[in-house]
Amino acid sequence: MVDNRPLGLYVHIPFCNKKCDYCDFVSFSMNEQSQAEYLTALCNEIDLIKHNYDDVTFDTLYLGGGTPSILLPDFITKLTEKLYSSFHFADYLEYTMEINPMSFTRSKFLEYVKCGINRLSVGVQCLNESVLKKVGRIQTNKSVVDTFKLINQSAFLNVSADIMIGLPGQSSDDVKRTLTFLIDNDVKHISIYTLQVEEGTKLHENIKNHKVKPLSDKAQVKQYNQIYETLSQAGFIRYELSNYCVPGYESYHNQKYWNDTQYLGIGVAAHSYIEGYRYNNVTDYSKYISLCKEGKSPVASKEYITDKTRRTERIMLSLRTIHGLNLEKFKADFNEDLLRSKAEQIKQLTSLGMIVIENGYLKIAKDKFNVSNSIILELI
Amino acid sequence: MKQDNIRNFCIVAHIDHGKSTLADRLMEATGTVAKRDMEAQLLDSMDIERERGITIKLTPATMKYNYQGKEYILNLIDTPGHVDFSYEVSRSLAACEGAILVVDASQGVQAQTLANVYLALDANLEIIPVLNKIDLPTAQVAETKKEIEEVIGIPCDDACEISAKTGLNIETVLDAVVKYVPAPKGDDNKPLKALIFDSYYDSYKGAVSMVRIFDGSVKAGDEILFMQTKKSFIVTEVGVYTPEAQPRQTLSAGEVGYIAASIKNVSDTKVGDTITLKSNPIEKPLDGYKDAVSVVFCGVFPLDGDKYQELNDALNKLKLNDASLHFTKETSLALGHGFRCGFLGLLHMEIITERLEREFNLDIITTAPSVEYRITDNKGKVYDVKNPSEMPDKTSITKMEEPVVKLEIITPKDYLGGIMDLCADRRGVYLDMQYIDATRTRLIYTMPLNEIVYDFFDKIKSLSKGYASMDYELNGYQESDLVKLDILLNGEICDALSLIVHKDKAYARGRALCEKLKKVIPRHLFEIPIQAVIGGKVIARETISAMRKDVLAKCYGGDVTRKRKLLEKQKEGKKRMRRLGSVELPSEAFVTILKLDD
Repeated sequence: MVDNRPLGLYVHIPFCNKKCDYCDFVSFSMNEQSQAEYLTALCNEIDLIKHNYDDVTFDTLYLGGGTPSILLPDFITKLTEKLYSSFHFADYLEYTMEINPMSFTRSKFLEYVKCGINRLSVGVQCLNESVLKKVGRIQTNKSVVDTFKLINQSAFLNVSADIMIGLPGQSSDDVKRTLTFLIDNDVKHISIYTLQVEEGTKLHENIKNHKVKPLSDKAQVKQYNQIYETLSQAGFIRYELSNYCVPGYESYHNQKYWNDTQYLGIGVAAHSYIEGYRYNNVTDYSKYISLCKEGKSPVASKEYITDKTRRTERIMLSLRTIHGLNLEKFKADFNEDLLRSKAEQIKQLTSLGMIVIENGYLKIAKDKFNVSNSIILELI
Repeated sequence: MKQDNIRNFCIVAHIDHGKSTLADRLMEATGTVAKRDMEAQLLDSMDIERERGITIKLTPATMKYNYQGKEYILNLIDTPGHVDFSYEVSRSLAACEGAILVVDASQGVQAQTLANVYLALDANLEIIPVLNKIDLPTAQVAETKKEIEEVIGIPCDDACEISAKTGLNIETVLDAVVKYVPAPKGDDNKPLKALIFDSYYDSYKGAVSMVRIFDGSVKAGDEILFMQTKKSFIVTEVGVYTPEAQPRQTLSAGEVGYIAASIKNVSDTKVGDTITLKSNPIEKPLDGYKDAVSVVFCGVFPLDGDKYQELNDALNKLKLNDASLHFTKETSLALGHGFRCGFLGLLHMEIITERLEREFNLDIITTAPSVEYRITDNKGKVYDVKNPSEMPDKTSITKMEEPVVKLEIITPKDYLGGIMDLCADRRGVYLDMQYIDATRTRLIYTMPLNEIVYDFFDKIKSLSKGYASMDYELNGYQESDLVKLDILLNGEICDALSLIVHKDKAYARGRALCEKLKKVIPRHLFEIPIQAVIGGKVIARETISAMRKDVLAKCYGGDVTRKRKLLEKQKEGKKRMRRLGSVELPSEAFVTILKLDD
């Protein structure tokens, strides 16, 4: 491969006990039989492609979903074994798994650790049960508290939490309580999800029918800023638009998405970026199962990333990060001096305090991430 | 053909009273067109006309009809049914000796019935009243007859009672045409005198003139002279319409047909011009010639700035067939390169812009319609201003005048109050009111044309649930206290949004415009003040606050493509915006100005 940096590996687990109303990812309810069926399919897909990765090293592995923690521990063990025996992993592998507090148990935890999982991403979302219920997420505060008790009694260090803001009815106090709890429980990494109301979701329908009232933009921006202030005070850095961490605890896996590193995705609806192509696996579960069973590739589409597209992606992705866009590298890669080609826009954005240019990097001002999309649009 | 056996006539009616349907039936009844070849309303040859049920472009038809054992040639000259084209109507009428007056027996006399019938009477035509739609359960035959007699003053004892739709009593109309319309009384031996009542462009024959021969005759090879344009051409073909163009050896006195002479430009075949022979000309052309005058003006710009050349080509193509369309290049700060177009009226404007979009597939932005103002400056110089951006500084103006129209509205009396309020609001000056019958009233006002170009007709229609009808004719200029209203976006004048308005209305309009713009301009990264300004003084202001939130969610599971596509789509949308300084304007912003009262 031209790019010899280690790759990331993502495995999608499409199962959930119940789909949340806002979710538009690929997820389904499951039984034991479907677990077995899906594991077989994953193994088939791995067998089909592994020879392409003989000479490369993976240094991150990420089990995302869905809700990987609802799987029987056995599934994770078998899958891990299959992955370890099929690909080369770095000794310092970052192995992350997403867990849901409602399905996390001591025995599963022990099994995960045994598998080499060294980073957990806990779906906390918000410590207000009724707010979560309104968006169709059934989760108790007790389950969250218990999850962290369990983790903190071990020597496990690298814990991340997902939280959501912009939820209907969610108050600043809810956000504050959630953040305080996470800081107190020694969480090292926090990902922020602003609620997106996607078409086709139940939430979209509920809002359309006035069953749920969305939070105002003003309140959302307030929460957005509240998070920045609270976490900064607690010693976190915002190393990406929606990701905070205690220095040293950046997610290696996620960074690959932003810094043009290759990654391989396995499973239904998984995405890959390999050798200049972006691939999407089929999103239809039974189609994925049957393709893998027949030994056929589950890739539904692939797109060659032309220089023009790569340029757009570079601006869009690097401006999400704390470092921003490396102007020299941009010039070398795309033969374009952004300071010239976008001189007028850069001048205006700078005078509005939207962007900062420092040490050869162009980045979004700390307090302007809330309008990052508009800023990016000016520059692509 | 002897002139005794020729009848030249037209049909006048209010929109929708069945003129085109009757024309179709007449052609069918005379075997001019076989029934199976009929497409509904054959004479309306453009799609837009057919959709709206109105006739814009004229197509004459020559029919043969046997009456009491003798064969007659009946030349039907269709006329446009809209006030914008009243000059064309008058030229068509001048080509006839008689007119069929069609009145919908279920609706009675309407504003355009009156307007057109007065034109016909002015042209000394024999009027044959025809009551249409008598098959409708709502038809009021006796009442309608009484109305025609009382309001117009035409006896209706022998009026034909028909249904053009079902074909009932159609032959009585043909009989009446033969009996009552006088035969033409031209002289074949006199020098050629022919009236152009319409012209069109044919890609093989060039500009073709539709003519009525009054005296003399014309044949291929003759050298003809157009008396107004003073240009001469060699005739390549003459013929009649059946209704397709059918070549003939000659056209002689009394006949209606066409003359082709390899003319490159329709502006050389002007409606109302007189054709004669160059070698043996008549001394004086026919009366009544007028140049087609533009009354309403607006800027037309391509939505996509790169399509300027395409717009230019499209306008030139439309101009080939429509000598009354005028356009010159215009450059706007906000809209870039485009054209200032002049139209006969609002309908004409609508038709042209619609054809640009439909037939030429162009997305266009039109600016607010304007009229031609007359300005006298402090040096005594008088000149016209058709575009708000041309308006000079207030201090150099000693007098401003605006065109006014005489407006006639016929409405059921239930809506009288609302309509009179509207007229007063639009600076109308009440002249007269007459009761047509127990339920309907005729109102006469003078009103600045400037007030009519802003959705006045739509307003009348909605106020009266569609029952009122209106008509207007230009009626000179009046002195007026007019001001130029500018819109400033983030401190910069948006020239395409400037308006000339009466001083008393400036405040309300300025405020409405600011409010509307606030709704259609998306939030930016910075605050945008919207100001309505007259001569440097701010009269209204709104503010679009800065954008609060616009974030792309996390690229979940490495799905970069989805976010990128979303971004690319938004970028495309931005490209369609117009940039004024740092403000991006969606094309809707320019449309709002047209529909302020909603």
